[in-house]
Amino acid sequence: MTLLAIVQFPDPILRRPCLAVSPADASLRQLAADMLETMYAAPGRGLAAPQIGVARRLFVMDCGWKTGTPTPRVCLNPEILDAAPGLAINTEGCLSIPGVSAQVARPEWVVLRWQDLDGAVHQRRLEGFESVCAQHELDHLNGRLCIDLMTEDARGAASATLAAMGAR
Amino acid sequence: MTLRPILLHPDPRLKKACAPVSEVTPDLGALAEDMLATMYDAPGIGLAAPQIGVMARLFVMDCVKGDDTAARPMVLMNPEITWTSDESSTYEEGCLSIPEHYADVTRPSAVRMKWLGLDGQTHEEEFSGLWATCAQHEFDHLNGKLFIDYLGPIKRQLITRKMEKLKRELARG
Repeated sequence: MTLLAIVQFPDPILRRPCLAVSPADASLRQLAADMLETMYAAPGRGLAAPQIGVARRLFVMDCGWKTGTPTPRVCLNPEILDAAPGLAINTEGCLSIPGVSAQVARPEWVVLRWQDLDGAVHQRRLEGFESVCAQHELDHLNGRLCIDLMTEDARGAASATLAAMGAR
Repeated sequence: MTLRPILLHPDPRLKKACAPVSEVTPDLGALAEDMLATMYDAPGIGLAAPQIGVMARLFVMDCVKGDDTAARPMVLMNPEITWTSDESSTYEEGCLSIPEHYADVTRPSAVRMKWLGLDGQTHEEEFSGLWATCAQHEFDHLNGKLFIDYLGPIKRQLITRKMEKLKRELARG
């Protein structure tokens, strides 16, 4: 296992739409294992490939490990098939933007489809924090960050921190 | 990720048909990333593998215009045209391998294309407008065909002679 360096905002790789991956690519197994290790060490509950400098469509998440029931997931080529009409506001953090708490409104639930490392297709309705986390990580694969979506109040509160990090 | 030098016309590699890609390997993913970076840097909206001297059937494109719309980088391997519209349209085309020369080319205004994606799956999509023109222009590259091949011989030879002169000047430094 290798701990990977986490790319920090405003690195341009965080703004690039990522390319698909093939489950047949054997190198992804090691990459995903390293990403999970890096995520746990950070500590965090989700990590997308561009955050470790790889602009490809995969992320890892585990929304249960902090509360005692680990549920590691490796999601390749994830897609949102359906989303709740209603929005819920949650406070999000990002390992690439330390020190910023972003109040973000997102659909309460989503139906996510993804491939695992064996190429099997999964489809699942995610709710609560898992829904927030999956949407946050999927945004990374499209070059979008939680600070793009935050409420006006949260933006005001975060502006000094973001400016110090080099935001333009 | 590395920017790759773009071959300039006339070059024998731009006149050859390319070989199919056999499977999606990590190397192909890295190649596609290099091609997209090279294309965006140029800047261009499409780039085919033979234009960087790789004789394989793949091209990249992104015809999204403006900064307000999210980019849509696409990677198409072993593309096939499965349908073309009866209607045609004319665009002034250019090519990163023939810089600063532009000419009107008439092509089907919409096409359906099938290809292998970097996810290892077969994709099929109908393209129209600029996307259709770009996809057909890039597809032609994989068969050794350039947009100037649609022009009359005199215009084509004129452009080719100017390009030969440009290449001689570049070689001299």
